[in-house]
This record gives sequence, C-alpha cells and structure tokens, in this order.
Amino acid sequence: MSDQILPIVDIDLQLSGQAPEEIMAYALSKFKNIAISFSGAEDVVLIDMAHKISPGKVQIFSLDTGRLHPETYRFFEKVRDHYSVKIDIVFPDTMALNNLVREKGLFSFYKDDHKECCGIRKIGPLRSKLLTLDAWITGQRRDQSPGTRSAIPVIQDDMAFSRPQEKLVKFNPLANWTSQQVWAYIRQNNLPYNELHDKGFVSIGCEPCTRPTGPGQHEREGRWWWEEATAKECGLHEVNTKK
Amino acid sequence: MKITFVKKIQLDGNFCKKCKEVQDKINAADQNQFIDQVIIADERDPSSPGMVLAALYSADRAPFFIVEKEGRSPKVYTVYFKFVKEVLGQKITEEDQLKEILNDNPDLDFL
Repeated sequence: MSDQILPIVDIDLQLSGQAPEEIMAYALSKFKNIAISFSGAEDVVLIDMAHKISPGKVQIFSLDTGRLHPETYRFFEKVRDHYSVKIDIVFPDTMALNNLVREKGLFSFYKDDHKECCGIRKIGPLRSKLLTLDAWITGQRRDQSPGTRSAIPVIQDDMAFSRPQEKLVKFNPLANWTSQQVWAYIRQNNLPYNELHDKGFVSIGCEPCTRPTGPGQHEREGRWWWEEATAKECGLHEVNTKK
Repeated sequence: MKITFVKKIQLDGNFCKKCKEVQDKINAADQNQFIDQVIIADERDPSSPGMVLAALYSADRAPFFIVEKEGRSPKVYTVYFKFVKEVLGQKITEEDQLKEILNDNPDLDFL
C-alpha cells in the first residue's frame, strides 16, 4: 500500500472535478496492489483507460456467479484478447452455494429476494478477493440508481471490505459520468462491448435477474423488477458528513 | 480499548431502522458491556456530536462504531457483524455478514 495516509474526503474534493482518466491515473500511481472490478458490461471503459496508462500491468477481476449470460462470458474472452490481459475470474464458495441450491432451489430469488443469492454468488467472492487488495476500482456511476446512490464519491474509504486494522480504498472514476458519456467513449475509441447491449439490455447482471429496458425506462428497471423499490434510510446525508 | 457506538436520529425524530435493529442485536447478545459510550448523530443538527464524528471519520452509514486502541489510528466499522467478529472476537455466520453488507451497499449488486 502507499505509505501515504490518505485524507480521503479532501482527495475526493480534489478528484471529483477531474476526468475519469485523471482519477484512474491517480489511483494507479498511488497503489500497486490495486485491481479493476470488471462486470462484463460498459465498465470495459475502465480497462481501456488503465491500459492506456499502464498497458498490461493492471490487475482485473470479474465475479462469475455461475448465472451470467453466454454473451457475457464471450465478452470476457473478447476483452482478454483485445487487450492481451489476464482476467482473474472469481467464483462462489462451493459449500455455501451447494447449501443454498439444495435447500431453496435454483430460483429462490423470485420467491424471497435476490439478496441471499447475491450474497453467496457475488458478495462473498468479492470480499475474498478484496481481502487480498489495498485498493479497487469500480465502474459505479451516480446515474445508475436513483435516490440513495446520488452521492457516490470518486474515492472512498471502503469500510465494508477492509482487512482488520487496515484500510481499503475504493475508486469510482466514472461516478460523475452519465451513461451517455460512457457510450460516447466506447464509440469514439471503438471499444469492444457486450453484445447484449444490442439486444436492449442496459444494466447487465445474472441472466435470470436481468431484462432489456425500453426507451425512457431507467436501467434499474431491468434488474430485479419483481421486487419493490424500498427506501434506504440509514445513510448519513452527504452534505452533513463532509468536512 | 475504547468503543464508541454512534446512532442516528432521522429528520422525523426517530432512530433509523438499522440503528434500532443493531441496538436490538446488541441487547440480545449482551454486548452493551463492551461499549464505552453511545453518541447520537442527529440529522436535524449537523453540529451534534455524532454528525461531527461522522464527518471526522468519513462515515456515510449509520450506525457505526469507532474503535480506539492505544498507539493505533481509530478504526471505524459500519458493518455490525464485522465489528462483532473483528473487535469482540465473537463468531458470526457468513450469511449474516454478507446479507448486512449487501443491505447497506445496494449498488454492490450492480457489480
């Protein structure tokens, strides 16, 4: 890890006005043990930016839940070939997954909610991976989810996944970009993209929990559409927690 | 070691739902004995002690715990089960911990 103790809030204030490429460059310059979380969707932009800064040297990992679309698996391979990079594919814990499927079947998320399944297939493996890192980079954007996520910072102290007595820093270089800006970058730079986007998918996750969205629909409506949106109420409002 | 538990009062004057849930778990597990002080982050008053601590430690979720050990930088925990496991040294189920993380970080399921 960088030997500098990062005053995260102050750095966020500085970086939030900068372009994603500059945020990426900052992240890569400060941390050696850092990795990009690649979902197999439009966050390929992050890989492209990192590749231009430091070709072939940035760690990339993806979470294979076992329920992704075939198109997404093909896209992982396309990206691997296009950039000549290794992608560390992370899998769920076999025992936990086996217990879930044996007890509740393969589609329990339609009856309960998606969180138990996501916890085992995605969050558990993510945590295992993040325990090996000092910092990580995501493609999360403010416009992806209305409401509570309107305050995603470009850099944050990741308190959920840090190792005991250590810090884990999370970068969200695309936080301030809109979906339109991401797609403009993809087209201008002729990046590979997931063929599901040509079939009307905007937000891409697991096959049973993702559907195409129509014009005017928010991308969130393409995920877990059978669940009611619930208000999140435990955030400490950003304006009050800034120094 | 000094443990501070920060709970949030919402604009409507009530404790936030998760603060109540965590307090119930603390009571049920008889963990109040380990907590040195409880401080309130009152959303109606940005200068309330808990809001000041939230700003100081960049805590964007409530409730949270501040753990201070001699000779070390204070560590903030926003995940109750992580706090229980790492600070109190008590056993918790993996399932409970993962579910709490996802509940508190809804955008993680976009990854």
